[in-house]
Amino acid sequence: MSPRSSRIRNIFEPLEKSLIAKLWQDRFGIPGPAFAGCKFFRKARSIWAISDVDLPRLSYETIGMRIMSCKDRPWKPTTSALQIFGRYATKNLLHLNREEAVIFLEGGSQGIESDCEIGYVVVFYRGDVLGCGLYSHGKLVSQIPKERRMASIARSEDCPV
Amino acid sequence: MDYLDRYREIVPDYVAFQAIQCQPLYNSARINTLKITREKLLERLEEEGVLFQSFHWYPLGLKLDIESPGKLLENLLGYIHIQEELSMVPPLVLGPEPGESILDLCASPGSKTTEISQMMENRGLVIANEPSLARVAPLRSNCERLGVLNVAVTRYDGRNFPRGPFDRVLVDAPCSSEGRERRGPGVLSRCSPERSLDLQVLQIDLLKNALRLTKPGGVVVYSTCTYAPEENELVVQAALGEADEFRLEKVCIPGLLECPGITEWNGKRLSDELSCTARYYPHINDTGGFYVAKIIKN
Repeated sequence: MSPRSSRIRNIFEPLEKSLIAKLWQDRFGIPGPAFAGCKFFRKARSIWAISDVDLPRLSYETIGMRIMSCKDRPWKPTTSALQIFGRYATKNLLHLNREEAVIFLEGGSQGIESDCEIGYVVVFYRGDVLGCGLYSHGKLVSQIPKERRMASIARSEDCPV
Repeated sequence: MDYLDRYREIVPDYVAFQAIQCQPLYNSARINTLKITREKLLERLEEEGVLFQSFHWYPLGLKLDIESPGKLLENLLGYIHIQEELSMVPPLVLGPEPGESILDLCASPGSKTTEISQMMENRGLVIANEPSLARVAPLRSNCERLGVLNVAVTRYDGRNFPRGPFDRVLVDAPCSSEGRERRGPGVLSRCSPERSLDLQVLQIDLLKNALRLTKPGGVVVYSTCTYAPEENELVVQAALGEADEFRLEKVCIPGLLECPGITEWNGKRLSDELSCTARYYPHINDTGGFYVAKIIKN
């Protein structure tokens, strides 16, 4: 990779709010006002959301929260972003029972019947958004980042789920 | 433990101070109101049979009677953050308001950064500065888990952080961490006056830059988790200098007992004003150890 392309990759470029809001509206039915008070940036293949303030001219490592990855198609929401905005979802969401939630939090895959469209879904348990799942042909694959997975103790009796 | 003897003259009830060092610190956590209300969180813990006790001085702080609070679902979902009791003090002294512009000069792992963000209700801007790339990862991870949307991370050497001004700046400085002995026994064996003097050079430069980066009328909070005057009062005195551009404001958290900052050390007289700063000792509130100074830029 040339130094020039590496430099370009490290720039946070502002993005139109309406563009991002439409993607979340189309996939999850999340209304635009859910993003009121946020502004958006793109860096490399990730999209970031931050409170709507003027940023001083500094060299930034991160700006707000990484909310989605556009590395592959379709775009993928982050678990962190779904835990904030996912509660407004009206479609492509799944409610798990306790047993299913444990498997999901451990990072596992499982068979689940649902009328969700193929792709990323918002996964709920008892009203909490657990995070992002990938749903396809009756199978749910957990997308919980490794460091936020529940360790194997979750299967024991004192499982805190 | 003999190392602590150098504090015999400045710590009240020194015998109790020495004795408590061997007693492990309880687990504690802060309720993250960016994601859940205090009422709902307490209800959940009760339902799950988790034993807890609210801090008497801070309703969002909890003592948790559980071995691995990090494994609670509430922690994974970012409803609580595992944080030492006294670590919750500096943001409260800083007093950020929603919409303000704040700099956290030595931010990782982000316990105080995220507390500041919570106090600002995710509005305004917090610049979380952390020069070490390895330490940016836990900072980012905590911000994301806790649902923080108003933090941007930078990686400057804090001594040369280039641009302000900010309404408030927190300097939770790298220190010898003597006040963490109850959390990780053995900390004291690595401490020495020489090490404190080495750290002092860095701490003075960090605090001086923080003062430079603050708006007139703005607030700078300097904190450490050590008892060494070389890293506390002597740093504040050196950074403030003789000019009357800055003044110290009394640090006082209702419900938490502080001892006044010292005004004499090793036979040398220090500024009387340093008694406005606060020393928190482990045997007085059953906590770790901390030092906090609040500076106002005139």
